[in-house]
Amino acid sequence: MDIIPQLILNSIIAGAIYTLVALGFNLIYGATKFFNLTHGVLATAGGYAVFYFGKTLGWNIYLAVIIGIVLAGLIGYGLDKIVYSPLRGRKASNMVLLVASLGAFTAVQAIIAILFTSQFQTLSSDIGGQKIYEISCPVAMRSICYGVGSAVITQTQVLILISGILIMAGLAVFLKFTLIGKAVKAVSDDEEVAKIIGINTNKIIGYVFFVGSAIAGWAGIMIGFDTGIEPTMGMSLLLKGVIASIIGGVGNIYGGVLGAFLLGFVENFGIWKLSGEWKDAIAFLLLIIFLIIRPKGIIKK
Amino acid sequence: MEYLIHLAILFAIYAILGISLNLVVGYAGLLSVTQSAFYGIGAYATAILLTGYGVNFFLSVILGMLVAGVVSFAIGLVLSKFNGDYYALVSFGFNIIVFSIFLNWQELTRGPLGIPGISRPLLEIGNWKLEISSNLHFLILASLFLILVYFISRFIVNSSFGRVLKAIREDEKAIQVFGYRTSLYKSIIFVIGAMMAAIAGSLFASYITFIDPSSFTLNESIFILAIIILGGLANLRGSILGALFLILLPEILRFVGFPDSIAAQMRQVVYGVILVLLMLYRPQGLVGEYKL
Repeated sequence: MDIIPQLILNSIIAGAIYTLVALGFNLIYGATKFFNLTHGVLATAGGYAVFYFGKTLGWNIYLAVIIGIVLAGLIGYGLDKIVYSPLRGRKASNMVLLVASLGAFTAVQAIIAILFTSQFQTLSSDIGGQKIYEISCPVAMRSICYGVGSAVITQTQVLILISGILIMAGLAVFLKFTLIGKAVKAVSDDEEVAKIIGINTNKIIGYVFFVGSAIAGWAGIMIGFDTGIEPTMGMSLLLKGVIASIIGGVGNIYGGVLGAFLLGFVENFGIWKLSGEWKDAIAFLLLIIFLIIRPKGIIKK
Repeated sequence: MEYLIHLAILFAIYAILGISLNLVVGYAGLLSVTQSAFYGIGAYATAILLTGYGVNFFLSVILGMLVAGVVSFAIGLVLSKFNGDYYALVSFGFNIIVFSIFLNWQELTRGPLGIPGISRPLLEIGNWKLEISSNLHFLILASLFLILVYFISRFIVNSSFGRVLKAIREDEKAIQVFGYRTSLYKSIIFVIGAMMAAIAGSLFASYITFIDPSSFTLNESIFILAIIILGGLANLRGSILGALFLILLPEILRFVGFPDSIAAQMRQVVYGVILVLLMLYRPQGLVGEYKL
């Protein structure tokens, strides 16, 4: 039973990571109503940007993180302008958009693998000395990380948790009180009507892609500091984000967060007695059960 | 020459996979991204039966098809509750679940270690025996299977059954009004597609003589989807064309000077970009008859 505090904590950490993915995904889904599968690979891109600028080139790590976030946002924005926006203009079906995003996903993932090889990389290391230590806690330094009961949490994980909550709160405030935020909500509710009342929907959706993708980039960077990155990590991450969004209530920001934590708990308690390799299968079983008995998610829109 | 034969065998295997998926995606309009699960079931059936029980290859093909048929029927039942992009998403899930089973049911599949030493097919009629050990003979065998799958599929799509499928794809509500049980049709074609994919899996296992779960990932399903979208949905010859192109693509890339290590990734870049371009400019593929 000693393991329970750690299980709970692991569930919360996993939930926080999925929250980061689900927040951006849900924001984009809300505005565009299609499953944007490239979302996962943008997390990978963010992580690798930090790996390149921060570790290979040895730039200031904070600068590298900012570059990583902006780069992920820009790739998302660019994909919208080049691929999704023309398709939307043509009233393409969701399946077309899904396949196109699958293609973009495959291409970007392979480009990352060509540039950085398929090897597993970790972002936290000695490069930058103290600075990196501030936002990460490698396994070797567990003793100085916070202990909760008999459970351990690293500083990176604390940061993941706090940033997840902050980003959620920030998004909520942004959507509720700013003009652009209200426009995003209008586009999410009904794109046609939003157009009629004079909202430049394409521009708004472009912003949404930028912000959503930047959040994904942040998620990828955090995972890079927490465990590590590899080119193929995007798919599993994306699917967790999608599952969290759907079981929580797709297109609803709070729903996504709720779904993310539920998924984190079910996964981590599910592998209590099974091997960790079953995680993905457990996540999808949860999704399928939800889709059958409660297809609109916990919080219905 | 030996290398050309190798490519030709791979082409035959992927052409079978393409045709099997085209029946589901192209003719029935169900965006299934789980074909490598059934491909894997066929491969594992052959691998386990040949190495563990000394069963004849051809019997293992049939048993593999039966297992894939039963599993796909169960999966199809769940999938029949969904449409469009949700269908695709749930099919992703089943691919990952089946992959996890390959990876974790270690007593049966040896998990990530894979199953080595799978023998080549042995043809046995009475006292006459022929072991298909050379690649050329294997190519003939694979081609025969491809031709068989092609003609069966052509028969299916040209039959009244196939016409109902196309009608479901175009307007499911309308065909229901005429009294067709559309869910039954969708289940049947899904099962047929899965059984054909299992044949390809058996061929693959026996040809390579070693399998592990990494050959049956979600990426493999996406690759098969790329084959049929590139070639053309609802066109069987299109699937063959798509398989030919995507199997030769790494060779073309190598020919224009990309090193071996990059050629495989480069192929992914190219087919990813092709998928995007097709969706933008030609959603029915090269010779397709149906747009997603």
